[in-house]
Amino acid sequence: MPEGAGAPSPPATPTPKPKPGSAVAAKLNAALAGRGAGGAPLAELRERASAVFHSLELPSWRRSGFWKTSFQDLDLDALAPIAREADDRLPEILAGARSAGVLVQRDASVVHVQLDSELAQRGVILCSLEQAAAEHTELFERYYLRRLPLDRHKLEAASAAFWTGGAFLYVPPGLHVEDPFQIVYEISAAGSAQYAHTLAIGDRASQFRLREYDVAGAGAEIATDALHAGQFELYLEDGARCRLAQLTDWGEGAVSDSSTSVVEVGRDAYCHWLPALLGGHLIRHHYELVVAGQGGDMAFRGVLFSQADEHLDVFAVDLHETGPSGGDVHWRGAVTGSSRASFEGLIQINPGAQQTHTYLQFHSMMLSDAAKLDAIPSVLVSADDVSASHGGTVGELDEMLIFYMQTRGLTRPQAVRVIVEGFFEPLIVQLDDPALEHQIRERIGAKLAAAADDIERYALAR
Amino acid sequence: MATSLEIRNLHVRTEEREILRGVDLAVRKGELHALMGPNGSGKSTLANTIMGHPGYEVTDGEILVDGENITELAPHERAKLGLFLAFQYPVAIPGVSVANFLRLAINAQREEPIKVKEFGQQLRHAVELLDVDQGFTSRHLNDGFSGGEKKRAEVLQMAMLRPQIAVLDETDSGLDIDALRTVAEGVAKLHAEQGLGALIITHYQRILDYVRPEFVHIMMDGRIVMNGGNELVERLEQEGYDRIREEVAARA
Repeated sequence: MPEGAGAPSPPATPTPKPKPGSAVAAKLNAALAGRGAGGAPLAELRERASAVFHSLELPSWRRSGFWKTSFQDLDLDALAPIAREADDRLPEILAGARSAGVLVQRDASVVHVQLDSELAQRGVILCSLEQAAAEHTELFERYYLRRLPLDRHKLEAASAAFWTGGAFLYVPPGLHVEDPFQIVYEISAAGSAQYAHTLAIGDRASQFRLREYDVAGAGAEIATDALHAGQFELYLEDGARCRLAQLTDWGEGAVSDSSTSVVEVGRDAYCHWLPALLGGHLIRHHYELVVAGQGGDMAFRGVLFSQADEHLDVFAVDLHETGPSGGDVHWRGAVTGSSRASFEGLIQINPGAQQTHTYLQFHSMMLSDAAKLDAIPSVLVSADDVSASHGGTVGELDEMLIFYMQTRGLTRPQAVRVIVEGFFEPLIVQLDDPALEHQIRERIGAKLAAAADDIERYALAR
Repeated sequence: MATSLEIRNLHVRTEEREILRGVDLAVRKGELHALMGPNGSGKSTLANTIMGHPGYEVTDGEILVDGENITELAPHERAKLGLFLAFQYPVAIPGVSVANFLRLAINAQREEPIKVKEFGQQLRHAVELLDVDQGFTSRHLNDGFSGGEKKRAEVLQMAMLRPQIAVLDETDSGLDIDALRTVAEGVAKLHAEQGLGALIITHYQRILDYVRPEFVHIMMDGRIVMNGGNELVERLEQEGYDRIREEVAARA
């Protein structure tokens, strides 16, 4: 266990406590210039991150509507990284899936790595990040934290300081891989502090698919706090193409998740990126799309669905450093129960990024009067020959549509499921992977079933 | 399954006002009925009430299927008895293809899910009947459909779900003559092939050139004011609703 993880801040170096939404938010925006802390040896970066960790309080963000996303109730002293033994078995979530390679981290340890031997011969690397730092040091240091800073908030710093295991993927120039690489982060017990870090690189003109699953272990009952503090970096060099999906589903346990993901695309590179947030006690996800090369293009899709008292908070920035470039952000969210969800999206076009065309949209569906959902789009443009705009809708269940389906023999809950699935379908179908699509549809169906009484009550009250 | 639909002294109101004021009507499986009447006479209210639309309150009277009162049943339970409503304004279901929706609806009425092959055969047959191309069934239901496509989709669903008694609420409205003929011939074939009973609600006479009803009813001000055969259609065509209104007034 890394020294200091979970320890209280030393009283000798008191720092002013940042006010929610002020100091923290300001730092966050300053960091959107897009540079990271990398380029130094790992030990030094860990040390710097650890110092930041000890200097900061747990973060809190003020959302609109007088509520906030706060990790300040989290008792870090009660959490610790838990080491696990190697395990030959694949996690349940990968059952039946075709894979080019699989890496599984359970709690604090990488427990399973397998890579297609032919791909290994052709230069693909899939291993723990610890191993990559030791054995592929040059590659590791070239990319590690290239776009991620250390000092935005305590949990990002914690992840950078204390990560163990971790995942490293390198796809060499020109290689096309059809089956997906699958990376699984599993939390299997209460009290687990999982500091996770994925670093993936698509070299020039490579093509591949990448999945990350953040899930509770099969049968794990996480009745008291557990933490996933994750960082994810994907760098796509010139002409590389990647379809990236990230599925977050911590189930109904008390998992808190503060994660940052960044994808950088180079010249003429392309990424289709789809996170699906399908369950978690408290989730704050920060996404950065960085178009760094001319002709770079990114499609950023996302679905979120919250139930009961879940709390999902998404911040996404679509950053264009050069033009011509393209961006297309399209998220959809539905809320049930007394859950909270927020989607804040920022388009940022830097000076000189001419001929950038990007659009940001968020569509939401309210399924409960006790739930809250905010959409906060903003646009920062520093170039004059661009198009950047945003849009969105707020929807509720259409009673006429429900009646229509009932006259065809569907029960009311079945009709509601059809509507909600249909709402998400335009995005889910873009995964272009029947097994994963099925998994997500089933999960949405299960969440709807769990919220059925609540949805009914809401409909009758209107 | 329903072999008869009988409506007795039906009174229905919305939040604002009473719309049906004592409707009596009976439709048996295999029979074709036309329900005609001017705008606002209560035809669509009757159609929606038969299927259990929550916006309409039955204040008196009964709707009987094979002698059992169904006014307390949910719409999907009425569908399971073999009733069907073809909507005047079919709603779009974004993200759900025609074929997938049909499979869901068919499976909702069965214990075991329908076999892929059997479903495919039924779908091909229905598609031919309605003169639509195969690609039609992979489009999202009613999403961006033209008026004619929406009405074809309604009859396509009817062909697949095989109801005993269907209510067609102004299925002819907004159709050009070709679409009208296709839709009407579809209904006539389902009548001939499946023994479909139908209550065809219409404002005009056009659809009745292709589907010849044996029974014709005229509705005014929330009541059936006249019953007859096909000759009533011709009379309406020549005289219009005003003459009938006068006659009914004189009778009262």
